Amino acid sequence: MGESAAIELDNVTRIYKRDRFEIRALDGVTMSVPAGRFVAIMGPSGSGKTTILNLIAGIDRATSGHVSVGGEVVSRMTERELAGWRARHIGLVFQFYNLIPVLTAFENVELPLLLTPLKKSERFEHVEAALAVVGLADRMHHYPRQLSGGQEQRVAIARAIVTDPTIIVADEPTGDLDARSAEEILALLRDLNLQFRKTIVMVTHDQRAERFVESVYRLDKGVLAGVEPARPAAIDAAAAARSRVS
Amino acid sequence: MKYAMLVLKNLTRNKRRTSLTVISIAVSLFVFSALVSLPTVADQVLADSASSTRIAVHNKAGLTYALPEAYRTRIAATPHVVAVMGESWFGGIYHEVTDAFPNLAVDPEAAPQLWSDWNISKPAFDQFEKLRTAALVGPGTMKRFNLHIGQQIMLRGTIYPINVTLKIVGTTGGKAPPNFLLFRRDYLEEAIGRPGIVSIYWVRADSSAAVPGVIANIDQQFANSSAETQSESEASFIGSFMDNYRAFFTMAEVLGIIVVLSIGLVAANTAAMSVRERRAEIAVMRSMGFTPRLLVTLMVAESLIIALAGGLLGCASAYIVLKVFSSGSPAAGPLSAIRMPPVVLGETLAAASLIGLLSALIPAQAAARRNIVEALRMVA
Ligand SMILES: Nc1ncnc2c1ncn2[C@@H]1O[C@H](COP(=O)(O)OP(=O)(O)OP(=O)(O)O)[C@@H](O)[C@H]1O
Ligand SMILES: [Mg+2]
Repeated sequence: MGESAAIELDNVTRIYKRDRFEIRALDGVTMSVPAGRFVAIMGPSGSGKTTILNLIAGIDRATSGHVSVGGEVVSRMTERELAGWRARHIGLVFQFYNLIPVLTAFENVELPLLLTPLKKSERFEHVEAALAVVGLADRMHHYPRQLSGGQEQRVAIARAIVTDPTIIVADEPTGDLDARSAEEILALLRDLNLQFRKTIVMVTHDQRAERFVESVYRLDKGVLAGVEPARPAAIDAAAAARSRVS
Repeated sequence: MKYAMLVLKNLTRNKRRTSLTVISIAVSLFVFSALVSLPTVADQVLADSASSTRIAVHNKAGLTYALPEAYRTRIAATPHVVAVMGESWFGGIYHEVTDAFPNLAVDPEAAPQLWSDWNISKPAFDQFEKLRTAALVGPGTMKRFNLHIGQQIMLRGTIYPINVTLKIVGTTGGKAPPNFLLFRRDYLEEAIGRPGIVSIYWVRADSSAAVPGVIANIDQQFANSSAETQSESEASFIGSFMDNYRAFFTMAEVLGIIVVLSIGLVAANTAAMSVRERRAEIAVMRSMGFTPRLLVTLMVAESLIIALAGGLLGCASAYIVLKVFSSGSPAAGPLSAIRMPPVVLGETLAAASLIGLLSALIPAQAAARRNIVEALRMVA
């Protein structure tokens, strides 16, 4: 299969201005992520991981350089265009799940669908399917506070995939979970990648992630230090799964 | 409409805060709607008297100066005059000084014609004409002092150093002021030693078109006499009485507006708090593609629902209280004329909408426009 790039960063710099200080969160980063890949961005704290993710997700803007996702140059869009673009192309997963506490699991997952022209019955089907994928179909009427952290993160993943976005972007999705739940979430993301060929970019500190992702992008002090292949065994499995689907 | 669920769910976020806000808005709009209903007393009375053919003739020097009794026949002879009734204020009290209520001595034979629109029953007027000590009492005063027809009562004079002993022969009822007590002027004259004076003359013209001519004619007749007259239509006469209350009504309205403004500030503070707590959620929703405009609309809708619920609650309670107050207690006197006109409902709901809209708009806009990344970093 052709390795067309889902994400391309071209000499991207992001400078934050705080009072009279300038922080170079990213300094001339050039990288690309092929479509259908599951990759991790790793690096020490403050190395710019979240900053890269925010630029890819279109919720932040580069100070210079270009970011394109799915062939569209995100860095040139207006705020309005970006909002619509995010609704169609991006599924975001956060460290602290960020579910709306007054909404049930079902309603939380339905939220991004409200922005689509889908009818109520269609929305219902999509939400049910997404919750089934994350294994929580039986919990759809539970509120976030009635769920464990791992379950909350599954609901958040269901919310991220329900619109069938081009890319899933996850910022330390296992950062707040115990070891078992963390592995389950990593496995879930890997399965989404294998079964649905979702491009997934995940920021993580978690060493276990290396067993699940295909490549690791190493960041250090705002500079891309290298890209390493990971998951040797899993890559074969991924290839096998892909040939099965096509 | 698909967003309705979202708005309603957000209302349940902090049930206690939501209900406290509804209640505080309700209380303030209760006060507001009751206060702005006050001037309706004046409007009501004036509307009733606007088409009247009655004219009040009083001393040009002021209402506290009397007019000679002899003017009566001269006024009666004026063209277009149908009836003339002398009226003297007695200012008597029943038991206590605080018992004050309007008691007037009037010419009994002219009363039925002057007050034909008050719907006082004919038997009551007949009794009034027969007995020199007769009194007709409004239902409010009857109830207040627990009086009954046939009862003998004594009123102590405050203007005159005499007491009058009256027999209640009937109630006025109908459209008459509910707290008036009427007795006969010939009896009062006799009791105070026949000074031959009248507080004011009530004159009925044969048509409302004739009223201005009659007014001019009467005042001309007594010009340059020792007691010059000043005549005015009933509407203008009552209006000048109402002017005494004008300042009070204005104050009531100003107070009402102050109450609304202050609760508006409280609501703004509450809205700001409730929006602030949701900054991370707002950022998450924006990252999904919700636009700031949609988010502001949702938050303002939420605030509008709270404010309108409070407005309806406050207005309904004020309506009920005024209704109970006015029907249950005619002794309330002119206050019993307070009704809540439909326009007050409109004004109250408009005030509620403004509270809801303005209190939420600014914090909601600030929150919805906030930088997404910054807002997300707050939680992390
Ligand atoms: N909004 C901001 N204002 C100022 N400085 C910022 C802002 N966002 C990030 N930075 C700075 O930019 C640098 C990179 O931040 P970033 O959040 O991308 O790091 P990270 O790799 O995600 O770190 P961590 O592992 O701790 O989450 C840090 O020095 C950080 O302090
Ligand atoms: Mg980070």
